[in-house]
Amino acid sequence: MNQPGQQTAHAGSGSFIPAPRQDMEYICADCGAKNEIKSREPIRCRECGHRIMYKKRTKRMVQFEAR
Amino acid sequence: MPDGSQKSRRQPTFNTIQREESFKNPPKTGSTYPILNEFVTPHIESFNALFDDSGLPKGDGDGRGLLSLGLKDIGERVVFDGSGELGTESGQRGWGNRLSIWIEEVSIAPPRVPDRDTWSTERKIFPTEARERLTSYRGRMQAKVCWSINGNIHPDQFVMRDCGLVPIMVRSVRCNIRNLPSAELVRRHEEPEEFGGYFIINGNERLIRYLILPRRNHVTSLLRPSFANRGPSYTQYAVQIRCVRPDQSSVTNTLHYLSNGSAMLRFSWRKQEYVIPIMLILKALIGASDREIFDNIMMQDYENTFLTDRVELLLRSFKMYSLYTGDQCLEYLGDKFRVVLGMPEDWTNQALGAWLIQKMVLVHLELARDKFRMLVFMLRKLYSVVSSSCCADNPDSPQHQEVLLPGYLYGMIIKERLEEALNQVRNQIATDVRKEEPPVDFLDKRYITKVIVKVNWDIGSKMSSFLATGNLVSPSGLDLQQASGFTIVAEKLNWMRYISHFRCIHRGAFFAQLKTTTVRKLLPEAWGFLCPVHTPDGSPCGLLNHLSRTCRIVTAPLSVAEIPALLAAHGMTLAFSSSIDGRKSLCVQLDGRVIGWARQSVAQQLATNLRIWKTEGRHKVPLDLEIGFVPESKGGQYPGLFLFSTRARMMRPVKFIANGRDDQVGSFEQVYMNIAIKPDEVEPDVSTHVEHAPTNFLSILANLTPFSDFNQSPRNIYQCQMGKQTMGTPSTALQHRTDNKLYRLQTGQTPVVRPHLHNTYAMDSFPNGTNAIVAVISYTGYDMEDAMILNKSAHERGFGYGTVYKSQIIDLKEMRGAAKSSASPTLHFGLGHDVRTAEGNGQHTCCHFLDKDGLPFIGTKVDSGDPIAAYIDEITGRTRFVKYKGDEQGIVDGVRMLGGDAGDTELQKLHVTFRITRSPVIGDKFSSRHGQKGVCSQKWPAVDMPFSESGMQPDVIINPHAFPSRMTIGMLVESMAGKAGAMHGLAQDATPFQFSEEDRAIDYFGEQLLAAGYNYYGNEPMYSGITGQEFAADIYIGVVYYQRLRHMVLDKFQVRTTGPVDPVTRQPVKGRKRAGGIRFGEMERDALIAHGTSFLLQDRLMNCSDYSTAWVCRTCGSLISLGYDDISLGESSTGTMKATGPGGEYCRVCRAVAEEDDERARQALATGQNPDRSLLPGVKVAIPSSNVLRSSSKGGDLDVVAVPYVFRYLCAELAAMGIAVSLEVR
Repeated sequence: MNQPGQQTAHAGSGSFIPAPRQDMEYICADCGAKNEIKSREPIRCRECGHRIMYKKRTKRMVQFEAR
Repeated sequence: MPDGSQKSRRQPTFNTIQREESFKNPPKTGSTYPILNEFVTPHIESFNALFDDSGLPKGDGDGRGLLSLGLKDIGERVVFDGSGELGTESGQRGWGNRLSIWIEEVSIAPPRVPDRDTWSTERKIFPTEARERLTSYRGRMQAKVCWSINGNIHPDQFVMRDCGLVPIMVRSVRCNIRNLPSAELVRRHEEPEEFGGYFIINGNERLIRYLILPRRNHVTSLLRPSFANRGPSYTQYAVQIRCVRPDQSSVTNTLHYLSNGSAMLRFSWRKQEYVIPIMLILKALIGASDREIFDNIMMQDYENTFLTDRVELLLRSFKMYSLYTGDQCLEYLGDKFRVVLGMPEDWTNQALGAWLIQKMVLVHLELARDKFRMLVFMLRKLYSVVSSSCCADNPDSPQHQEVLLPGYLYGMIIKERLEEALNQVRNQIATDVRKEEPPVDFLDKRYITKVIVKVNWDIGSKMSSFLATGNLVSPSGLDLQQASGFTIVAEKLNWMRYISHFRCIHRGAFFAQLKTTTVRKLLPEAWGFLCPVHTPDGSPCGLLNHLSRTCRIVTAPLSVAEIPALLAAHGMTLAFSSSIDGRKSLCVQLDGRVIGWARQSVAQQLATNLRIWKTEGRHKVPLDLEIGFVPESKGGQYPGLFLFSTRARMMRPVKFIANGRDDQVGSFEQVYMNIAIKPDEVEPDVSTHVEHAPTNFLSILANLTPFSDFNQSPRNIYQCQMGKQTMGTPSTALQHRTDNKLYRLQTGQTPVVRPHLHNTYAMDSFPNGTNAIVAVISYTGYDMEDAMILNKSAHERGFGYGTVYKSQIIDLKEMRGAAKSSASPTLHFGLGHDVRTAEGNGQHTCCHFLDKDGLPFIGTKVDSGDPIAAYIDEITGRTRFVKYKGDEQGIVDGVRMLGGDAGDTELQKLHVTFRITRSPVIGDKFSSRHGQKGVCSQKWPAVDMPFSESGMQPDVIINPHAFPSRMTIGMLVESMAGKAGAMHGLAQDATPFQFSEEDRAIDYFGEQLLAAGYNYYGNEPMYSGITGQEFAADIYIGVVYYQRLRHMVLDKFQVRTTGPVDPVTRQPVKGRKRAGGIRFGEMERDALIAHGTSFLLQDRLMNCSDYSTAWVCRTCGSLISLGYDDISLGESSTGTMKATGPGGEYCRVCRAVAEEDDERARQALATGQNPDRSLLPGVKVAIPSSNVLRSSSKGGDLDVVAVPYVFRYLCAELAAMGIAVSLEVR
């Protein structure tokens, strides 16, 4: 079950323009540790085993109209 | 300079630094605001009481929890395997082996990670996880089910049966954050002030609301005309007692007076009511002789012929049963109830009768003799009511009420569910025995284990569904009047609303439907227990109350076992004495048990002594003992000395003047006490007590209204409601909240003017509004009718700026195409091949919003319909998107990825929080704290605002007309006090009842204003911002705390020109959500008709609604018979010429008739008969030609008319019923 998932993850970024493959990093809701969780991996903190992850704030520019 | 330094070093009154310090470093032991933990104690301790290790004092009991006591009350269930010999002793089939099953013990564990999860370092589950993962906060429940065969108890004969996961109350004895200090709570992502008292069900905080119940173990006399409808010879008189067992479950016994002088005892068993003659029970209880019963009821009052007559009738009427001894009575009862009770078959009728009485009659008393005495007392009280020597009690008065506490209700439900499960086991075995396939072997441990495992013991899911819905599913009804509405959501809208949930108390859903308003009345007995101010207006008014600030609910068991002896030592005659004169003696009762008799003077002395002892802690008299001394009166309440020590009573602290000690007063005794409100109101030899503070009768919220004693009372009621709808600070742990909707005020301030309880209840940790400079002036005309003008600059500086947090839950398990059964999901978050992610031209638009993992970027702005998540369907290989539901622009504030219970499942559930900015706009609602609400009508440019001599401009302008009729003088005082406080840097104390006619608030604050260089009365000369000229009048201007209410136009506006229509009627749909219209109803139509505005009428009801055109046949008037001939090919296609309209349209009905006529005429021509058959020859009927249908048009004469579409629909519906509608076209 894990195998096709890995493939799609590779292919998803690879079939178009090859982009540097990045793991997504999340933050554990309990201990705050950074966790790399790939697609279709269980949501679980590697440090404490907690079951909630927060997505990190984007590094993209975020611009709002100040009105 | 000691003088100078003292002056410059003024004590800080806002405590800003201190508060900041406690925010930064929450206390490591205890909490900052201990009172918050106090006011939820009834919730938490009632829940704790379920367990043996409750931490509550033991009282008279052995410290066992309510669950253990409940198990004792359930007892055992018995089955026989039918293998015995036939005989007289063993019934018709032969009983054989006797298997009895019982539940030995029940345990509930704190919430823990399941054992499957082998990687978690923290094995406890904390409430925040339940909240964030949208699950329930539950602990595992286990029951030890034991059995014995033929009475031989063997240690291996038991099964530990899992009962599922039971919701646990937060901060109760089973909760993992019990007793944690603030610092630890913050570490656990809780509020530093978290006080618990609620359950977490599917991520929602739900609590069981207090419910008012009749006072336990006390006989109340009732006078209800409906009792007379119960049957022949029933009257309106009855006495009732709600008896409570040690496990807090209750049975209500009612004693009805019959017109023949006797009485019937009523109780209900499994929702079925039963009535038994009282004599039967009196005899069955102790085998009393007629003489004994007569003596006990008469109590030497032989001159009272009313009583003698009735007792004689009572005794005589029982002769027809010919039951003479107690055993005969028990036998009789057991025989009648055998089928209903479902007790072991080998019990004798006598045992069954005794069991029935034990279980159903006066269950708070163990001993039969006590029950007998109490029943006799009930009879005496009943006869006394009938003879009008005492009056009926008012069941709506708090004097005769107590509170149903959450934990006790919870325990009752668990007990009943356990009993059900045990009954199911018994029934299953009994069925197996009957079927005999294979024959049942009781000695086979595997068989019994199998049956116990087979039966559904999932109590956890039942408790969850009870808490989630508030619906009670119960075979017995638990002696409650309602079956739903027990739980509510503890909404964290703002701090005020949140804390008032835990203090609210409901009268019962049953009373909400009652037409009469007597139950809603504010009674003087409620003083100090229920707040007179804090109740909603409208339908729940007076039914949904809030406890007064100092009102407690007793939850600890008290030890009162020595009180009867103590009283006897001080002059009380013990109950067994035979020489008591009922005319002179008053009954002394302790928790509904007759413990003795005393003369009025002795009883009064005993009451006084007890009060002194309990306040001083002497003779082990507990402080929470309630000493209700009801003196003798002519036609008043039935006299006696009633002592209450049980739990669930409302009590409040007052000061006992005699020794200056603190005393606790209950709602029963308060009626007969003289409690002065202020020390200077104490009347010598009359007042015994004095209130600690004159504001103690108000609820927390009512206490927070500044200067509420200056306001007209309804305005304070409005403030209590509006305070709860304010956009404030719901929580300080906002990042960890998953509420559907949260309102947050960005610019919260501490009010300058606040009552001193403001600090006590942590109101500054959760600010609720903003201090505003308010001018009372009619300035632009935009402040009419409660509108208020906002200074545009104040708005730009952030006045009342708010944010709404909304959340959307994306659960792939609920999506279309999700695998229903298989363990591995087929939908996965992420972007598939079909989405072009590479930057540049042709990049999929979703990449503006979504990251590579298919989840939204945090901080992205989304509009309605934008993608907020993507997932791949494994089967089709396509990527699908989840859209943003809201209709306003939002910003992704947080994305939470929720794992499974054991942390072994991949991402299937997502919780996305959106932040929606809500700057104040025209139409938003604001209010001061005095019930003065208004809508922002204009944001007025600062240059055009009026200004004072010092150059101050108001933030808010309100109209002077808001005051005269509403009389909210408190707001005027607040304005002055706020102004003075702002100038001097003082937090002004606005506690009500501090000023008097001699020491006036106006003078106090006027002096302060004068000292700050202002006008004494708060008026100032002001200048028009437009002309610059001074106003003719001085303007009242000051500082008032303004709340922004959550009702905002953006959530409310509803407007449409065209839009969705109903598919059937083609009329506009209704509802704001569906972009529907607002109904233009009959009354509105009447108004337009009355005005003669027919074009408008036409426009609203026709053109903008369901305008349609339809063909109508001029011949038959039918709307529904349109047919078309295709005339585009020319008329010769059919050969014959048929009448049609210019477009080929024709009426099918008329054409058919015409063709039939033609055919008939042709036949007549062919056969030579008279074509005119219908009329007799020579007879002529004169009919105006206009009334003759079937003109010569032959169905081709149609017209187009404009009709509402519903009318066409109506015609079609009527046609379906066989009714033709004919229109006359002129």
